[in-house]
Amino acid sequence: MIQRFLKQIKAGLSDLLVVWRDEFSLVIHDNAILMLFFVAPLLYPVIYSLIYNNEVAREAKMVVVDYCNSPETREFRRMCDATPDVNVVGVCANMEEAKEALRNREAFGIMVFPRDFSNALAHKKHAYVELYSDMSSLLYYKCFLLTATEVSLEMNKEIQVRDMSGATAREEEVSTTPIEYEDVAFFNPKSGFASFLIPGFLMLLIQQTLIIGICALSGSLCDKKKYQTLAPLLRSRRGSFRIIFGKALCYMMFYGLMSVYLLWVIPTVFNLPRMGDAWNIIAFMLPYLAACIFFGMTISIFIKEKETAYILIAFTSLIFLFISGLSWPGCAVPWYWKSISYLFPSTFGLQGFVKINSMGASLPDLRTECIGLMVQICVYFVFATLVVRHRIQREEV
Amino acid sequence: MKRECKRIISRKLYIFCLLIIPLFCLFFFLSLMNEGLPTEIPTAVVDADNSALSRRLSRQLDAFKQTDIVLHAKDFSEARKLMQKGEIYGIYYIPEGFEHDVLSFRQPKVSFYTNNSYIVAGSMLFRDMKTLSVLGSAAVGRELRLAKGETMEQAMIDLQPIVIDSHPLGNPQVNYAIYLCNVLLPGLLSVIIVMLTVYILGSEVKEQRSREVLSMAGNDIFTLLTGKLMPYTLSFMLMATFYDVVLYRFMGFPCNNGLANMLLISYLFVWASQALGILLYSLAPIMSISLSFAAFITMLSFSISGFTFPVGEMPRWLQIAANFFPLRHYFVLYANNGLNGYSFQYAWPSYVALLIFLFLPILMSFRLRQVYLNSVYKA
Repeated sequence: MIQRFLKQIKAGLSDLLVVWRDEFSLVIHDNAILMLFFVAPLLYPVIYSLIYNNEVAREAKMVVVDYCNSPETREFRRMCDATPDVNVVGVCANMEEAKEALRNREAFGIMVFPRDFSNALAHKKHAYVELYSDMSSLLYYKCFLLTATEVSLEMNKEIQVRDMSGATAREEEVSTTPIEYEDVAFFNPKSGFASFLIPGFLMLLIQQTLIIGICALSGSLCDKKKYQTLAPLLRSRRGSFRIIFGKALCYMMFYGLMSVYLLWVIPTVFNLPRMGDAWNIIAFMLPYLAACIFFGMTISIFIKEKETAYILIAFTSLIFLFISGLSWPGCAVPWYWKSISYLFPSTFGLQGFVKINSMGASLPDLRTECIGLMVQICVYFVFATLVVRHRIQREEV
Repeated sequence: MKRECKRIISRKLYIFCLLIIPLFCLFFFLSLMNEGLPTEIPTAVVDADNSALSRRLSRQLDAFKQTDIVLHAKDFSEARKLMQKGEIYGIYYIPEGFEHDVLSFRQPKVSFYTNNSYIVAGSMLFRDMKTLSVLGSAAVGRELRLAKGETMEQAMIDLQPIVIDSHPLGNPQVNYAIYLCNVLLPGLLSVIIVMLTVYILGSEVKEQRSREVLSMAGNDIFTLLTGKLMPYTLSFMLMATFYDVVLYRFMGFPCNNGLANMLLISYLFVWASQALGILLYSLAPIMSISLSFAAFITMLSFSISGFTFPVGEMPRWLQIAANFFPLRHYFVLYANNGLNGYSFQYAWPSYVALLIFLFLPILMSFRLRQVYLNSVYKA
């Protein structure tokens, strides 16, 4: 009994190794697959990190139209210019000139001081500063708005103090700011774009190249009608398990290596957040990779030709990114898309990795994500065996 | 051309790429962002004071449209745990003795924390919580001034002598759907156009019929390209028309130079994308390799076009590289014409750039002809 069992294991392992070896040689002899598995993950993150490396927009260009031209307006301008976010590139005589600068993309915002600005201040009326912003870039708009608000708060305080002659310094302070406040950005303190986007992007890159690769490999077997070479394995009852595990092991090996590069080397080189504990990341990556692999094998049912894998899967990257709740907050995703998002490993993978890597969570904090991935592994594994079986049988007929 | 039409009907793949995927993308992004801005972002309030004043403050925070208080915690660690689990995006902390300190002029300090790993949600909460803190401070200041006998109006002016009056041009509500969809959707259409063009050209070689087709076209590569690609051009132009009508008529997104102008830009972009497809296949006539390049370039174009992160903030060489991506020029033209309504003269280089894309395949046509004559398929 035990001997029979051992023999079975041995046969299983040797079949598994054969499948593994064949898949390995398929991968390394196929330039297109090598591009997907190696070149894309090597180069893509570097270019992305370089694009977003400045993290935030600085010195957004602004022009000023100063109809008042008083000491107050000049001080306001100087204070804006002194902030790191805004750069006053010029003073225009009138609005038309300023709009021309916007049209020529020499500036992205206009600050206008009306003629009665100082007058209003002197007569204790509201004095308005008008701010116009080009909305083709939200980051610049944010720079202008935050800076102008900040500067106005600062000047308001000064004006109040000035008007309060005879008060003690302490009284001045208390009455201008009865409540103090401080803001703290948890995780990603610079509010940087790279720190926000790249960790999720890396996880998505893993899933997308992996499933395109798996579908392309399966598609090219279909093309050449070579699926039947695996047929002998299917004779035994556990054959499809062996095929699946053999292939999965091969992909796992490649992507285990790539993950080290993507999740360790890239964040280190580009100074991205890296709060996660290495063991937590490894423990999380294993189920994520497995889920991606089985998911890829499952959807390979739709791909009957190597080339269509690219066409049908490439465009989904953006959809996966938005549905995962990273770039568009999860609470704002409608319920129907949210429920669909649970079908994809990337949803749990992105969320989980961002939590570990950027927010320092540990595995117990990621119960939802881990359970989600486990369920996906089981379900997609069953589907994957069915797909392989279906493919082989169809070719035999 | 007739033959190509038959091919279109014969395969599900073409129907998918020409109809189903573009329509799905349109529906997906418009339904995802139909609110325009994320609303009701879950937040926690840690109220260590639990006084009338502190409760009033947290009620006011809840009243903001973008903020939804899901937890009133007693201590900070509970809220922090939830933040780490990603269930809330911000924490507003009111210290113990808050009310007492306000009343006795001891300047208590409130703190707010945002989770900037999710930048959109984080920055929205930041804005609301900051406004609340400034207003809260102002409210107390107002009471003080009223007590000193000032009128309400006078008190408000004294507190805030300078007011910022902000005008976000073209997108007054700072609507994220307008900001994102107008570039994302054409971009996705172009992903499909480029890849399908590569596939259409490559599949003839793969099926070993390229010589036959070339002789059908009288050995003229231009006749061949026109005949083969025309049905797709028309179909994608139709889809682009549909996109523009939905975005600028049905959704009412800004389109200040008129729909006809936007359609012209969209058509130019469709053609430029097809041209890019032809170019890629001619350069790398192994279909799976050229498709890899196509995927690489089209996906990269979303970032490098600069509609999320401005091109001006990228390293110099990437700013130059951005010009080689059709989506960059589409974005410049859309911002110039659709969003801002500026005239032709301010964005003419981008029109020219898109036109240059149309001429690129001519340079490579001799190569494509060679490929079709040799007719060797490599996987």
